[in-house]
Amino acid sequence: MLDREQTRMVLALLLVAVVSTMLLATTDMFTREPIAKAQREALHRALMQVMPPHANDPQQDAFEMKRGGSRLRIYPARDERGHLLALAWEEIAPDGYSGRIRILMAVEPDGVLHAVRITDHRETPGLGDGIVTNHAWLASFRGKSLDNATWKVRKDGGDFDQFTGATISPRAVVKAVHRGLLFFREHRSELLSLSGAPDSKKAVEEGP
Amino acid sequence: MKRMDIVRDGIWRNNTIFVQLLGMCPLLGVTTSAENGLWMGLATMLVLLGSNLVVSLIRGAIPVHVRIPCYITIIAAFVTVVDMAMNAWMHETYLVLGLFIPLIVVNCAIMGRAEGFASKHGPVASAIDALSVGGGFTLALVLLGGVREFLGKGEIFGLQVIGSYPDMLMFVLPPGAFIALGMMLAGINVLNRWLEQRRAAAPETARERA
Repeated sequence: MLDREQTRMVLALLLVAVVSTMLLATTDMFTREPIAKAQREALHRALMQVMPPHANDPQQDAFEMKRGGSRLRIYPARDERGHLLALAWEEIAPDGYSGRIRILMAVEPDGVLHAVRITDHRETPGLGDGIVTNHAWLASFRGKSLDNATWKVRKDGGDFDQFTGATISPRAVVKAVHRGLLFFREHRSELLSLSGAPDSKKAVEEGP
Repeated sequence: MKRMDIVRDGIWRNNTIFVQLLGMCPLLGVTTSAENGLWMGLATMLVLLGSNLVVSLIRGAIPVHVRIPCYITIIAAFVTVVDMAMNAWMHETYLVLGLFIPLIVVNCAIMGRAEGFASKHGPVASAIDALSVGGGFTLALVLLGGVREFLGKGEIFGLQVIGSYPDMLMFVLPPGAFIALGMMLAGINVLNRWLEQRRAAAPETARERA
């Protein structure tokens, strides 16, 4: 049996834990909606940067597709008449100089890149972070496709510049975008039919 | 202990960073700019205020053997609250500071104040202590962030101070944190010694005159 002193210890710990948990639950209640909203807005800003001007809400029309072991979320951009302008999704480059680089890319229906943006990275300031700050470099992706470019950095015999003192970060980005384009080509008809039909979103969600 | 002494100790005489050299991990990690340092310092101050207050209020009720797990639970709870609040209402800053916000929980300076001060003093004194120590910590982070930002990019709080500045990348990178901190500590030691000498010299000159 516990003696008095031990009971006191258990009770004190229990009480502190219970009150802390209550505090956390309350905070979660108040912050859950604002956090979701902040994340939606951050994604909205990123999507606006990579997509051509569109009339729909890409986040509302988003659908998912199986890819490897996970599900990829894909955002379609349409004009007023519902024609598909571009599809955007996130590619992750696992081989950045320091950790993963998250890339948002938008591809037009014919497989041509519309734009590429880096949404998250830990690359070296002033060197590898050129993948974010070097606008000319980011712009060099526009209009590129599997057919009109060699998807490597110049050092490796490709069409994309590396930076002075930083080859690894641009190389990782180029590789990831290339992988994204290959994925698009392989699943093009499926992707287009999923994003084309007005009810496609529902169909996917209810699918097996 | 007089309240003014608590304030002076926290901000300067016993500054967490400059004198005790505690909490080096967030200091060196986030101080790539003055702004990052400011937000990190304020987040830490908020946690410190919460934990100091609660620890002080329940100091009589906590059995001495389980006080450390109790303090850690309280500190972790406040860190998580600050983490969630920043994620919700300061999303951009949250993304920049990232991992360092949850890491406030292992900032030994906070544990140190709970154990060393709040568990022995009343809530008012503990709150003053938290604001002073937190203020001193914030001051150190902003100073170091400002120095690194200025030397590295010629900017202060994101504003270009020197036009066409040749970037000194080293000061933005991790090694620059150590070098800048070392230079600042040296500067502070020189300043303190000078102040001490002046204080020692003052009575002498008075005596000579007499």
